[in-house]
Amino acid sequence: MPITKITSVDNWELTVPGRIDGAVANQLEIEILSAIRAGAKEIFINLSQADFICSAGIRVLLQYYRQMKNNQKTLLVTRPSPNITSILDMTGFKDLIVANTRPRT
Amino acid sequence: MNALVIALRNDPAELTRLAGLLAGFAQQHEIGGADVLAVDLALHEHVTNIINYGYNDAEPHEILVRLRLQDRALFVEVEDDARAFNPLERPPADTTVPLDRKPIGGLGVHMLRQSMDDLAYRRARGKNLLLLTKRLS
Repeated sequence: MPITKITSVDNWELTVPGRIDGAVANQLEIEILSAIRAGAKEIFINLSQADFICSAGIRVLLQYYRQMKNNQKTLLVTRPSPNITSILDMTGFKDLIVANTRPRT
Repeated sequence: MNALVIALRNDPAELTRLAGLLAGFAQQHEIGGADVLAVDLALHEHVTNIINYGYNDAEPHEILVRLRLQDRALFVEVEDDARAFNPLERPPADTTVPLDRKPIGGLGVHMLRQSMDDLAYRRARGKNLLLLTKRLS
């Protein structure tokens, strides 16, 4: 299943379904870079439909979380599925999750 | 059978097949979702490291994964003929470090350690052998 995106001016939501392995992590990086180039100030990675994320996926999230933060912008994970919550919690990355359900519509 | 041997090629496409075979084994033996997820993650990370970084040539190599269910624990042995690599020699990552200061490298080994209850490594006859143990909840 492809990554889907919803954009609202400077607010982007990327929904990544299924298994986030190395290949999907590469696709996600391309989509994030596209959003950054388009001037996104907030990027939310919706993982409600994802059931697995490997280190390559977490590396992409961490790298662009930092890049966005250094530019006073935001990249966070929203609506993680139970599996994603479990993996991020187990590996010490649960702070990548934002509690609310943005982006706003 | 409480055991399964999976022979993989050193090709990233094999990772999807590995996950499918693990899921089938888990379903057959009614292993819980959280335990399967942890083993799936550990195996994915370890085999990815072998395939991506282990070999000095571009030749085909075989990676053997042996699953064995015994005494409410899942034992997974991974055997490969890649360069000697003991993931346990890497210092454990501190999971309390805030996001701004977490190292970006070494995540795979960190996730391998965090998801398993026990890991044991040995090098024998030119092969790496990593035994991963997950006690089932």
